[in-house]
Amino acid sequence: MTEFIILIIKLVLIIAVAVGMVPFLIFFERKFAGFFQSRMGPTYAGPWGSLQSFGDMAKLMSKEDLVPAAADGPVFRIAPYILFVPAFVSMTLIPFGPMDVDIFGYNVDLVVSSFDAGVIMFLALGSLAVYGPVLGGWASNNNWALLGALRSGAQMVSYEISMGLAVVGVIVMANTLNFVDIVDAQAGGFWNWFFIPQLVGFVIFFVASIAELNRDPFNLAEAEQELVAGYMTEYSGMRWGIFMFGEYVNMVVMSAVISTIFLGGWRAPFEFLDVIPGFIWLVSKMLFFIFLYMWIRWTLPRYRYNQLMDIGWKIFLPLAIANLAVTALIISVV
Amino acid sequence: MAGHESHPTAPPKPRATPEEMRERKRLSRQRVSDDSEFITVSMGPQHPSTHGVYQAVVDLDGEIVVNTRPNIGNLHRGVEKLAEVKSYHRFLPLTDRLDYISSFAMNHAYAEAVEKLMDIEVPRRARYIRTIGDELCRLSNHLLWLGVHVMDFGAQTFFLICFRDREYVMDLWEMLCGARLTHSYARIGGVAADLPDGWVEKCRAAMEFMPRRLAEYQRLVEKNRIFLKRTVGIGIFTREDCVAWRVTGPSLRATGMERDLRKTEPYAAYDEVDFDVAVEYDADVYSRYLVRMKEMYESCRIILQCLDQLPEGDYINQDAPSQTFPRKKQVMRDSAAMVQDFMQTFRGPKVPKGEVYKAIEVPKGEMGVYIVSDGSSIPQRLHLVTPTFYHCQATPALFEGEMISDVVGIFGSVDIVLGDSDR
Amino acid sequence: MDSTVEQISDALKSVFGKLEEKFGARLLGSSVFRGELTFLVAPEDLVEVATYCKAPEGLGFDRLEFLTGNHYPERIEQPFEVAVQLTSMATNDRLRLKVPLKEGQKMPTLSSLWPAANWCERETWEMYGIEFEGHPNLIRLLTDADFEGHPLRKDFPVRGLVGGRIRTDLKGKI
Repeated sequence: MTEFIILIIKLVLIIAVAVGMVPFLIFFERKFAGFFQSRMGPTYAGPWGSLQSFGDMAKLMSKEDLVPAAADGPVFRIAPYILFVPAFVSMTLIPFGPMDVDIFGYNVDLVVSSFDAGVIMFLALGSLAVYGPVLGGWASNNNWALLGALRSGAQMVSYEISMGLAVVGVIVMANTLNFVDIVDAQAGGFWNWFFIPQLVGFVIFFVASIAELNRDPFNLAEAEQELVAGYMTEYSGMRWGIFMFGEYVNMVVMSAVISTIFLGGWRAPFEFLDVIPGFIWLVSKMLFFIFLYMWIRWTLPRYRYNQLMDIGWKIFLPLAIANLAVTALIISVV
Repeated sequence: MAGHESHPTAPPKPRATPEEMRERKRLSRQRVSDDSEFITVSMGPQHPSTHGVYQAVVDLDGEIVVNTRPNIGNLHRGVEKLAEVKSYHRFLPLTDRLDYISSFAMNHAYAEAVEKLMDIEVPRRARYIRTIGDELCRLSNHLLWLGVHVMDFGAQTFFLICFRDREYVMDLWEMLCGARLTHSYARIGGVAADLPDGWVEKCRAAMEFMPRRLAEYQRLVEKNRIFLKRTVGIGIFTREDCVAWRVTGPSLRATGMERDLRKTEPYAAYDEVDFDVAVEYDADVYSRYLVRMKEMYESCRIILQCLDQLPEGDYINQDAPSQTFPRKKQVMRDSAAMVQDFMQTFRGPKVPKGEVYKAIEVPKGEMGVYIVSDGSSIPQRLHLVTPTFYHCQATPALFEGEMISDVVGIFGSVDIVLGDSDR
Repeated sequence: MDSTVEQISDALKSVFGKLEEKFGARLLGSSVFRGELTFLVAPEDLVEVATYCKAPEGLGFDRLEFLTGNHYPERIEQPFEVAVQLTSMATNDRLRLKVPLKEGQKMPTLSSLWPAANWCERETWEMYGIEFEGHPNLIRLLTDADFEGHPLRKDFPVRGLVGGRIRTDLKGKI
């Protein structure tokens, strides 16, 4: 029974972290954008405009829930959640600290599920998330939305392959598919983290994650300047809000996964810094990647659709395979 | 003059022959399969990057544009009809509303045409002020264009960076005539007012500062691989196409044609300053960007020269009292000037019978005004030959065979504003 | 007219001579004002004259600057007029052809010679009601699809409400 209660508490905490970060991420993104563009960003709501996201949320929730007459109603309504739910499930795989910690006399693992096929689970959930944009765009019965949906489907699927292959290098080195064990394999200082031996895989994974997240320079599925708003063209009010929310939750999850796989997860860069809880290390690494995503978004122009596919299939895929081959060779020889 | 730095010369590109350009254009047109159905989408009037209320109904084969049916007129205000009930003086503010991004250039085009019709001289100082105004318009227009153009490719920060520096030009305008967007600064026979105190120094400081910012933009844009990938070799529009569709301005000069009305038929003070016509040879989106970038450097150079050489004298013609306004300061002191002001305002100028066409080089291309006069103080017919009208008309030829992602970039690269085309 | 010909540039003088020589009496007249040369051409001769003007071996006026109409209600016989301005890209000379038209008289299209004439002719048609024979797509350009009347005719009022309804029966026709 206590185990069950602990599990519920952990789940609530995980969701609270993922959801609770989002309004502040949106706020930070707008402030960063303002900073990059030599303007102020939001200033009115709350101190330095920090309550802007909550105001936006209230506005979106009070809006009418519009479903176009020609849309496929049930699919149209459910599509935003399809983007949203897999992200939460992925979050349960991420360890936030060591196993068997003594908290108030209870032995607690600081991970929701130490799942042996964790990496595969994460990739599978990532594939599921594609259905959100694709179904949303298809159900809208709008040509712009359809184009956006097709782009997002093709883009996510083709980048998933490079992404999966980039992780395999780490799996070969760590000899496990479990995120908890992957973090354990990186113990003992930052020189043991996988981003050093797996630099190529790290770069591929990071760039592919931008494509997975549909952010600039790979946000072809939305592409305001080309496709109006891509698959979100017909969405308004809170359903649009959930799409946006889902994208930010995905960003949180993706940065957590990258930190876990390549940057030692909750582990400190030096062992003497272990006094600081692992949770804080993980969140600060996540924030670093989130900042990178934002920086890239507000700096670079967007690739064209066929150029994106070229990069995915002609550069990243061969590179990922070569990386895997070299890794496997070195592991087997050493 | 020697002190003012020119555009840092890029390594010269090979001069492409028309055949080479046509071949490149043919290569850039991707194959369209014969047996596929088309998706029809409506770009505009509310599309985010049609830069106004332009609409293009586009048939797509996958991502490739097969047919384009452009549609303008959502901003039609009947300016030419209004011209037929207004005196020549009273029509001038309406020209602001044509190309509202560079409204002084529009005033200038109209004033030049009316002056040609009336055959009156413009004082030398007024011609210099007009030249400065034209170039300020070119600068602010191209800065806005550059920001929007790069934003069309998804780089949103660049837009606001360009806006930041456009403010320097806007501040100059505000100080000069009180308005930031619709200047109405030109008058028939000169300009509305003399340069205010301290304006010359402020303008000189801004123009000496601007090339540094332009160099910064060049670093930001020309070193960006994504931008290069999106622009080089895209949207080729050959010289023959440009002539056939009457595409003018930077798009024409990007095909290697050295045609700039500032040089070929100099007006205002352009024959007294030293500047180069910006020419590129590849006829693609990137060439059009380069032409505009060079033009911005040249604009700074022209303005600095004009400020150096600025002559003393009247800012509006005082020798033709039946056709021009008096100096504003005199109106309240001198009864003759007051009568002249009254007559010009309420009766309008005396105009000979005849018809003229006068074109000048505005930032977007060649802007012409065709006036038919029957000898009264209102035009019998006034036709505004605006560059954007023809640029919009050429869009089917520009878009055909390109990808939908490139369409926005190509459309941006010809530089349009819908107030100009719809009139 | 012969005294005013002296005002124009030498290049335009040779254009004047060539056109007079080639078409002679078929040209309805010519005028010069502020150094601009204008020829009056009958509508049935227009395509031939324009082709000669455009051809490189002819006069080489390869660009259409604009094409627009005009309405003179006081001219009872031929109240309409179409002005075509041509530019030579090589020499930057300009030439204007004007075509007087009767009420309801059709005019040949120039859009096969210059693609740029397409929208100009559409505009002229919608503003003056001058029809262009052989035009591929003579529909309204600047005004609404259901607009009635030709706004730039002198008898069209400047003030007042015309149209202003939203038509739903035009779907697919625009």
